[in-house]
Amino acid sequence: MDFKKYNPLENKIYQVLNENGEVVNKEDVPNFEKDQLLYLYRMMLYTRIIDDKALSYQRQGRMLTYAPNTGQEAAQIGSAYAMDKEDWLVPAFRELGAWLTRGVPLKNVYLYWYGNEWGSHMPEGVKVLPVSVPIASQLQHATGIGMANNIKGEESVVVTYVGDGGTSHGDFHEALNFAAVFNSPVVFIIQNNQYAISTSRKIQTVSDNLAQKAVAYGMPGILVDGNDIFAMYNATKEAINRARSGQGPTLIEAYTYRLGAHTTSDDPTKYRDNTEVEEWKKKDPFIRFKNYLVENEMIDEDWEEKTKAELEKEVMTTFESIENNSDTEILDMFKYHYEEITPQLKEQYDDYISFLEGGK
Amino acid sequence: MANTLNIIQAINQGLMVEMKNDSTIVVYGEDVGIEGGVFRATVDLQKEFGKERVFDTPLAESAIVGTAVGMAINGLKPVVEMQFSGFSYPAFNQIITHVARMRNRSRGQHHLPIVIRAPYGGGIRALEHHSESTEALYSQIPGLKVVIPSTPYDAKGLLIAALRDPDPVLFWEPKRIYRAFKQEIPEEAYEIPIGKAKVIKEGKDITVVTWGAMVPDVQKAITMLEKDNISIELIDLRTIAPIDRETIVESVKKTGRFLVVHEAPKTLGVGAELISIINEKAFLSLEAPPTRLTGFDTTFPLPRGEKHYIPSPERIAKTILDVVRY
Amino acid sequence: MKFEFEFPDVGEGIHEGVITKWLVKEGDEVSEGQSIVEVETDKVTTEIPSPRSGTILDLKANKGDTINVGSVFVTIQTGSATTDKDLDSKNDKVEEVESEIVEEETAGVVGEVVSSSMVIPPSDEIKKVVEVKSSTEKVLATPVARKLAKDLEIDINTIKGTGPNGRVMKDDIYKASESSLEDIKKPEEVKKVPLQIPDNENVERIKLTKIRKTISQKMSESRFTIPHTTAMDEVDITKLYEFRKKYKKILKDDINLTYLPFIVKATIVALKQFPEFNASLDEENDELVLKKYYNIGIATDTERGLMVPVVKNADKLSITDLAKAIEEISTKAKENKIELSQLKGGSFSITNYGSIGGYFGIPIINYPESGILGLGRVTKKPVVKDDEIVIAYVLPLSLSYDHRIIDGASGARFLNVLKELLSDPEMLLLKA
Repeated sequence: MDFKKYNPLENKIYQVLNENGEVVNKEDVPNFEKDQLLYLYRMMLYTRIIDDKALSYQRQGRMLTYAPNTGQEAAQIGSAYAMDKEDWLVPAFRELGAWLTRGVPLKNVYLYWYGNEWGSHMPEGVKVLPVSVPIASQLQHATGIGMANNIKGEESVVVTYVGDGGTSHGDFHEALNFAAVFNSPVVFIIQNNQYAISTSRKIQTVSDNLAQKAVAYGMPGILVDGNDIFAMYNATKEAINRARSGQGPTLIEAYTYRLGAHTTSDDPTKYRDNTEVEEWKKKDPFIRFKNYLVENEMIDEDWEEKTKAELEKEVMTTFESIENNSDTEILDMFKYHYEEITPQLKEQYDDYISFLEGGK
Repeated sequence: MANTLNIIQAINQGLMVEMKNDSTIVVYGEDVGIEGGVFRATVDLQKEFGKERVFDTPLAESAIVGTAVGMAINGLKPVVEMQFSGFSYPAFNQIITHVARMRNRSRGQHHLPIVIRAPYGGGIRALEHHSESTEALYSQIPGLKVVIPSTPYDAKGLLIAALRDPDPVLFWEPKRIYRAFKQEIPEEAYEIPIGKAKVIKEGKDITVVTWGAMVPDVQKAITMLEKDNISIELIDLRTIAPIDRETIVESVKKTGRFLVVHEAPKTLGVGAELISIINEKAFLSLEAPPTRLTGFDTTFPLPRGEKHYIPSPERIAKTILDVVRY
Repeated sequence: MKFEFEFPDVGEGIHEGVITKWLVKEGDEVSEGQSIVEVETDKVTTEIPSPRSGTILDLKANKGDTINVGSVFVTIQTGSATTDKDLDSKNDKVEEVESEIVEEETAGVVGEVVSSSMVIPPSDEIKKVVEVKSSTEKVLATPVARKLAKDLEIDINTIKGTGPNGRVMKDDIYKASESSLEDIKKPEEVKKVPLQIPDNENVERIKLTKIRKTISQKMSESRFTIPHTTAMDEVDITKLYEFRKKYKKILKDDINLTYLPFIVKATIVALKQFPEFNASLDEENDELVLKKYYNIGIATDTERGLMVPVVKNADKLSITDLAKAIEEISTKAKENKIELSQLKGGSFSITNYGSIGGYFGIPIINYPESGILGLGRVTKKPVVKDDEIVIAYVLPLSLSYDHRIIDGASGARFLNVLKELLSDPEMLLLKA
């Protein structure tokens, strides 16, 4: 695909599948095998089920605050699928689909939201950084990883995510500026889900769109229909190729919608209209992709039912294995601040243990 | 004289020598490349190692530190400069939420061998905001190390130790004495352990602890007190986090009296922490209340008021006498 | 006035420069800002402008000379009457520093970093293994205890602490502060009864000495704590009298052989037989503390009052040794040279008021001991022996003891032992 055809200054948006799953851009349909398509759809189901179950557990009091991804599955999975094994993923906090696609085990995801740091310790070879709570700060890390690749002569690229709210942050500006100045191989993906908690995207900036901010940094920017999994895949792939071939960073705005709440402690009915939500539900990434797959006879109801059941079972089993098993080891709290535990920390730990053991 | 350098030159030599040993070290910040740093700490490094390893950045402290986080995760050892310690505040967020926390957050999967260098402290008759001593703020953050040398020998040794440390180190340089004296130091690389204070002078009547640019001032005060026949034990703390409690406590157990001198403001300064440590570990040896002599709880004044702020040798000497005569 | 122009650092961190060209000569008028010399350094070659208007007085270096940063290289006669104090923004104290120190402009940056070629001694820290020396610790004590010691004028470092880790407690300090009698309880705990006398005018008030006060408190304490009872008896010591007279002549002046050493010996035999006389009652723990050591206190009258120095381990001393020991401590006590340690640790006491006068007495026990033997004056008296009246030397004994732990029968038996041994020196020899 050609970025130049979608100039964000002209508010052009890139789409391959429309809301109904009809192909509107034939030459840009990715060349996927059937098993790849099934993989992608299954991953979307997986993501949605994990989210739903997490919300349910939270309401049951079995899980802490959780940030759902409802409605953003295509933006996350489509973009992450374009990455190579060696590429880095630098998340914000709402990229479940991307994490799973890049090999983060569900166990880690649930451990993290369950409140145990080991959730952020990834298996060998999974180059996904921990969740970054300070908004937009991760963008600078991504730039730095890319800069290091340039220095070391490595070819991997970095894909990093931020929300529409994050684009107002100074760190966003600094990171993109640095990335452009140093030709860092980064793909910056804005998941514009229209809301930063209760703050509508229109309050974040009066720019027509977020992708056009790229122009100021001297890098390409493109506005993409975030609920179109093919479009997300293509745009990201193109950006990754650019980065890998030494052409520097790109900014992608994934135009999507947060169908759920900001987190389980948020009540969106307080700040948004239900009609708006209903409108966007019609554009749910599931609908269009499923229609496409059904149309092309890739899946049927049976397959979907069977797959959902499998996935649900796996999710429940995983959660139950974590539940009640995931208290923090006290020594873990102390021993990972420095390579070697300091005398002060050791003393504090010993004092506490002594207290717990009913010491004098 | 063979290899007789001042602190700035020692730092420069430390970087030079260690960058030759370790090709993963990169140096960057504002004006550090072509110009070699406004204080000339990084002079000639770009010439020696090239623009890839030594470069200038856009004016953005947060990104300087933030990108260092990424670089460190990806296997390099970034040595970034904050042009003045007071300019580190835009990077405060990155330093506290990521630099200090990445190891613990990932349970050891990622660790950040970053060194953040900055000139700190007052006494150079500068504009506002160029004389900060906020080492206490950083020292309170778990996961960081804060190091402040006071001599060329220590500066080079501690810097090399910082460069070799797998964890992040804030290397705060006492700019007031950057060029105030020279010292003969070894030409090759050597390390001084981080976390170890140095007993500069042994004594038995009182323990005086200080660091950075205050060390020569305390030494002046001690010279002024020679006629009073007091035996003063002087300790250079050198590492503000983690504090070398053992050396200080053993000293106070011997002398029974304690004075800490620092230019940073009084309330909640590092002096308060030292006194608490003594309270915990040497209470029964005390002959006098442990005392602190510090800057005021005011913003560092503009040059015309500067001489009142930093404790002078006279004031230090008087305070020592007060503690000894308690 | 004469302005001395010091060669400034024109390129951060330089220390010297070479004069390539003078642009003025002595006597020339110059205005402020006018270039007066051209100097080459390793960083830069530059013209240096004059900081003052006036007349060039003295060029202190020639073309081609090397000048050091900070040294005066030209003087200018200015018309200004003011000093250069305001222009010299150095801290007043900095002026005392060597003349090599000079202000520096660091490139493109605010502030001035002082530069100097002063050299400080090198360090060889990495070559040495610097270990933290565990200090010879001072005595451990809380600040409160230290203040107490200071107030009582005691050197806290001489006190052995009985607290945790050898900490010197306040009690230890109170104990040490009384040089004569031990003050076990804190002074406040002894009840002070207000004095009521009808005629408060016709009196003289004398402040009690510390010792008198202590004695007074100890006496009260002993009497109020221990239910005293006293058993009395007379002993015919005629044989002992002869024995002593004979050996006093033989030993001559080497040893002052009084009756006391014999009495101490006999007492120890009795104490071994009746250990409850060499004990203390621990009411708190309901225990009788039997002492395995025999430290006999010999009450001694001194100018300052009654003192009871102790002969330690008297059971291990021979009679002559005892004589010497008793002589020594009595003398020391009288001369006020007795040490604190010699006044402590007794297990039984003997009071020889008879040396001054008196027959029977009711001595007060030296608390927390449990018994005290009082000796009256040895008197020549008629006694009945073998149904005949003969003249004998009679020693009156008064034995006060703690009736909580010693019954009357034991008291009587104790006295009987003493009688047996003191009336027959050969028996004393056999049983001692």
